[in-house]
This record gives sequence, C-alpha cells and structure tokens, in this order.
Amino acid sequence: MRSALLIAFSFVLTAVVVGNAYYQKEQFYPSVVYLTKSNPSMAILYLQAFVFVILMGKLMRKIFFGQLRAAEMEHLIERSWYAVTETCLAFTVFRDDFSPKFVALFTLLLFLKCFHWLAEDRVDYMERSPVISLLFHVRVLSLIGVLGFLDLYYVNHAYYSTLLKGASVQLVFGFEYAILLTAVMMVFVKYVLHSVDLQSDNPWENKAVYLLYTELILGFFKVVLYVTFMVIMIKVHTFPLFAIRPMYLSMRSFKKALHDVIMSRRAIRNMNTLYPDATPEELQAGDNVCIICREEMVSQCKKLLCNHIFHTSCLRSWFQRQQTCPTCRMDVLRMPRPQTTQQTPAPPPQQNQQPAQPQMPNMFPGMYGMPMWAPPPPLPPRGEVPPREPPTPPQSPPSTTPPAQGQAAGAPGASAPPPPPGVGSPPLSASMAAGASAAYANPYSSMFSYMTPFAGFPQPPQNMQGLSEEELATMEGRERQNVEARIQWLRDIQALLDGAMVLINQYNTVAAQTSIPGIAVAQTTQSNYSPSSASNTTQPTNSNADKTSSQYKEKPISKEETKSNTLSSEQTNSSVDEGLSELDGAVGYTPPKEEFIPEWDDPRNEEHQDELHKIRHRRLQRFSEDNNSIKKEEDDLEMD
Amino acid sequence: MSVSVNYTQSPEGIIAGPVNEENFFEWEALIMGPEGTCFEGGVFPARLTFPTDYPLGPPKMKFTCEIFHPNIYPDGRVCISILHAPGDDPMGYETSAERWSPVQSVEKILLSVVSMLAEPNDESAANVDAAKTWRDDRKKFEDIAERTVKKSLGL
Repeated sequence: MRSALLIAFSFVLTAVVVGNAYYQKEQFYPSVVYLTKSNPSMAILYLQAFVFVILMGKLMRKIFFGQLRAAEMEHLIERSWYAVTETCLAFTVFRDDFSPKFVALFTLLLFLKCFHWLAEDRVDYMERSPVISLLFHVRVLSLIGVLGFLDLYYVNHAYYSTLLKGASVQLVFGFEYAILLTAVMMVFVKYVLHSVDLQSDNPWENKAVYLLYTELILGFFKVVLYVTFMVIMIKVHTFPLFAIRPMYLSMRSFKKALHDVIMSRRAIRNMNTLYPDATPEELQAGDNVCIICREEMVSQCKKLLCNHIFHTSCLRSWFQRQQTCPTCRMDVLRMPRPQTTQQTPAPPPQQNQQPAQPQMPNMFPGMYGMPMWAPPPPLPPRGEVPPREPPTPPQSPPSTTPPAQGQAAGAPGASAPPPPPGVGSPPLSASMAAGASAAYANPYSSMFSYMTPFAGFPQPPQNMQGLSEEELATMEGRERQNVEARIQWLRDIQALLDGAMVLINQYNTVAAQTSIPGIAVAQTTQSNYSPSSASNTTQPTNSNADKTSSQYKEKPISKEETKSNTLSSEQTNSSVDEGLSELDGAVGYTPPKEEFIPEWDDPRNEEHQDELHKIRHRRLQRFSEDNNSIKKEEDDLEMD
Repeated sequence: MSVSVNYTQSPEGIIAGPVNEENFFEWEALIMGPEGTCFEGGVFPARLTFPTDYPLGPPKMKFTCEIFHPNIYPDGRVCISILHAPGDDPMGYETSAERWSPVQSVEKILLSVVSMLAEPNDESAANVDAAKTWRDDRKKFEDIAERTVKKSLGL
C-alpha cells in the first residue's frame, strides 16, 4: 500500500516537473534542455527511473515467478544488501568514470543478479515441491533462456568494447556477467537433473553425484574467473575491494566441493571394496529397517565395521555428506581395516603383523608394526639398481658396484648412478678410505655388529605365497603416512649407518696410532656374526690389512654383498640386511643423497681420542656378546 | 524421501503432522510446556521444514508463537545441536557427535525440544537476553514465561 502511494507520488512529481518545464518553454527541445540543466528536476527524473526499474522488476517477477515464496524473498533481500554494498565499493574504484550511464549499467547488473538468485531458489524448490505444473517448466526454461542470452550478450559486449577502447569499467561488467553465466549454467544443470529425477517414480540415486561434480567443475571455473579478474584489475586499475567477498566465498565453496568429492569417493570406495555385504541371516537377526530411509532391508545392504547395516544406496548418499556411521558416528575413513583373514585364512603369525597404527612413536619399537620389512619372496627386478637376490659367487660383486665405487672416489656421487642402497653411502666410504690410514679395514662387519643389538625387527611371515594380493597391499600400505614413515625410517637407518662408519673410522685411526690390532675385534664380531661363507671372505681381507686403499674400496663391498646374499638366502631375520636388501624395492625409497650425510670431523683432529677409544672398546665387546646370542638363535633356526 | 507419518505414537504432550496432504516437507507441531517448569500449561505451535534430502539433512524448526527462551532465537528458530548439519557450527562449540544424523527422527527432535524447554542451556544462547535473564533474574524469566504461556493459550 505504502509502496503504491510512493510510486503514485513519484509519477505525480515527474508529471509536475515535466509539465512545469513544458509550460515554461512551450516547446519540446527547450524544455528538455531546461530539464537537464536543472538539478532538482533531474533528481526527480532519476527517482522516476528508479521507480520504473522496480515496476519492471515486479512485472518480470509476475511473468517468470508468479508469487514469490517467503524464503525466496528473504534470500533476495539478504543478497541484495551485499550486492548494493559491493556496487558502492565498485563506484569508488571507478569514480572517474562516474556518469548516469555507468549507474544505469550497474543497476541493470543488480537487476539481472536478482533474477539469477530467484531462478536458483526456484529450481531448488523444484525438488521439494509436490506438483510441478507445465507453467513452472515454461517459466523456468524461458527465464534461463533469457538470462543466459543477456549474460552472453553483455560478456560479448564487454569483450569487444575492451578490445576497441581499452580497459575500462566494461572489464568489471564482463567478469560479472561471465560469473552470472556460470550461475545460469548451474541452474540449468540442476533443472535438467531435477526434471530427469521427476520423470521416474523412484528417487534417482546418482543425482547427488552429478550435482556434486557439476558444482565442482563450475566452482573451478568461478575461481579461475575471479583470480583472472583480480590479476587483471590489479594490473589495470587498483585492488578490487568489491570482489573480495564473492571471491572468497567461491573459493571456499570450491574447496568444500573438492573436499566433499574426495572424501565421499574415498568413503564410497571403502564401502564398495572393504565392507562385506550383509547376509540374509544378519538381516533376519535384528531390526531390518534401514535407519536412513526407514524401509526394510532385503538385499543390497552393506555392513559397516561397527556392525551397523544400511542400504548400499542410502549409505552412498550419506557418505556424500559425511563419512561417519549414521548410527554410531564412527569415522569410516579412520576405521581399522577389516581383518582380511575373514575372507582368506592366513597363517596365525600374519595376524600379529597387522599394523595397528601406522604412526610410530619412535624408530625401533615402531618397526614391529612395520609391514615393509616383510619381503615378497620373488623380488621383481628394479631398474638400474643391481638386483641382489641371485646368489652371486662371493668373490664377484654385482657388475655395477665397482664402477660406482671407483667414481665415488673421484667425484662422490656426482655422475654415478644411484648407488645400491645396501652399500651404505659411497661418498662417505670413499672419503673415509682416502682419509683413513692403512689400518682401515672391514668397516662393514663392525658396522653390522654395531647395528644388530638394536634390531628388534619383526619376523617376516614365512609363507608369502599364502597371502592374497589384498593382504600384501594392506601390509605394504599405500597411504601417504605409510610412505612418509618409510622414508623416515630409511633416513634413520642411513643416519645410523653413517654414524657407525664414523665410529669405525675413529676406532681404526686410534687403533693404528696405538698399534692395537684394530681388526682383531672386528674380526671376531664378523666371524661370530655370520659363520658361513661370509666369514670365509672376511678372513683374507682382514689378514691383508696393509693393502692399498683402492683395494679396500672394493673389498668391503664385495664382502658386504656376499654376506647379504648368504643371509637372505638363509632367510634369517637379521633385520639390517633385510632392510638393506629391501630398500631398493621399497615404495617411496629415495636413493641417498649427499645432503643427508652428516659431515664428519677427521678423527685425527679429535681431541678426546682416549675417551673415545675406551667407549668404543666397551661397545665392541658388548656387541660381540650380543652377536654370540644371535648366532645361537640362528643356529637354532637352522636346526629347525 | 519418506517421512514417516506417525500421529498415533507421538510422545505425550506432542502432536505433529504434515500441514497438508500435498506437501510432506512442511509439518506443524504443537508442543505442550513440560510439567514442573515455568512453561507448564502452555501449548506452543511450531513449524518443521524438512529439506529435500531428508533424512540426510536436518529439518528446521521454528516456533510460530512468541516464546522467550535462551535456545530459541527471537524470531522463533530453534537452536539445538541435533538440528545442525555437521558442516556448520553457528555457536562454535558443538562436536560433530551431537549433530544431525539420519538416526534422529521427528519424535526425537521434538523430545529434545521439550527437554530443551525444561532445561535451557545458557552456555550457547540463541537469545542472549533470555539467557541473561535466565541466569541472573530467574524470577523475571518465570514471569515472562508465564506471560507467553497465557498468550499461547489465547488468554
């Protein structure tokens, strides 16, 4: 009522102003000039124009929407406030271009925006409205057509005007209309999906999926548009403050859509692959009403790990929103993986191997749950890394190793292919070989004896053939966490190995200076450690302690190679060797780089030689004792 | 999609059902003020609006009468955690465990509202004035509640 009064008042005012002008000038052109020169009359005319716009809007609304619903009105007013504020902000950026035409263009933009929002709301309402009349379809389709055409026209217009006249306020309009165009597309896709859904009596399960993907794709376009707009605006004009809010919102919704798609895909994949179908007995046992749709469950049901049963299709649509069990809210993505033994019987030790948690509190206790140490029996050949599984004769190391070592002496690790990880770090060993005196001997034996006391590694499952592909995949783990943990372990191992090398070197230096046969201790540990063929190769090397350093570079490698060969062929659980021989096969393994190797001080410059010497001595003694016990265990194993 | 219409089994003090036979997504509910509270004797009409994806999304509930309560917005919207979808957290305190899940039925929602009427939660106030009055001036709160009760009965 009040608005009608205001409109009437505005018409009367305009009539008075125009009448007055005509009365004074009595001719058309002079009166027009008079009107445009007089500010009060122009103000009244602008007001009249505004009233016309509103009337036009009402007319369009009548044509395309009929009566607006309360929720639609609410949305419209809420969004209009933001849009008006942003338009005012835009005015500040383009204050130089400020003119009635400019204002008119912005009003038109706002006007069209309002209809885009209304169209969106109307199409959303389609889903829940009980009856969709033919009129509704005609209205929505014609509205979408008109809006899409207008958007396209203005984008086109803005594009050519920018090309011809250079960057101006048309840039803003171009982008605004382009974004509105994406909105129209979204509305259209929704309309089509809802229409298809309405055609059939049963709800269409895949609709939500399509909606999700449409949202994702159009959200991506929107983000790209906004970012481009932002960049161009900053280059051409200034920072477009008015675009911040919609840009943020579109980015957030895009992120959410992306997150939703990823999480729901993961949950649905889990559901399809991991969770068992509910058996008829299970359905009979309890209340067989699906809590989601409240209908009886007869077939096509899935049982989650928390033993709650739902329709597969209901679960799918729920997982698109949230990845928890609807009943107990257990996180389906965090659920422990189902015991694969349910399907395929596995040997009992396998159950202990199931990693409870991939997070490792620290390095060594963590290795108990570490699946990567279980080697698959046939190691597939791995590219350039020398395969180690065929038992090579002890005296002939794999072909690629000597060149790598030779080059390492000159330019450590520069042009050499990635060294076989089992060898440790060639650059370090090379530098040590150059730095150490003649007493440098047999570093690997003492190194391994140094390592073994820590080796609380789990026993790999004995019969790998009994494991299914799935179980192996579970043990291996594919998640980022697992891979990261693995890399961390490998780095830890490398650090330990490097540390051991430094200690050995120090010891040997000290031994050379004090003329204690440094090899002796190492030799015992070595012979204790691997009594078979490895010790055969150790003996000659150790006895030839005074050979030149170039020979030493080669010898330790060959020993190490043979030793690991013998050990792995014996299938012992000597973990370091296991680990080293498995490194090249491990997923996520990166060949050791130089930056990981800690710098070491030349032990000859070390001041506390005596102290170190004592500590080292004690340690070696303890290790040889430990090795004795290990040797006993090995013997026992062999007896078995 | 299927909203179970359960006139008979609704708990005591609650009547609820669709507004009309054409649109099952709009329900009307009458809630009696729980006994032994300051809302005792009142009959409060409310409207439940179900989303299209119900029961995957929560319905909205809005009292269509005047009611002064810490957990009811001045415009009548009900603010309880089980009516919030896990994504949005208007009050910023709820864990996802107390949010909407398809397990919740209309009955449970209405029961929660009744218990909310009986025991307002002034920790997360939708109506700050009401929460403050409830906390600081219980006498005044009860007076206002009595007035709304009388109003709801048309007295």
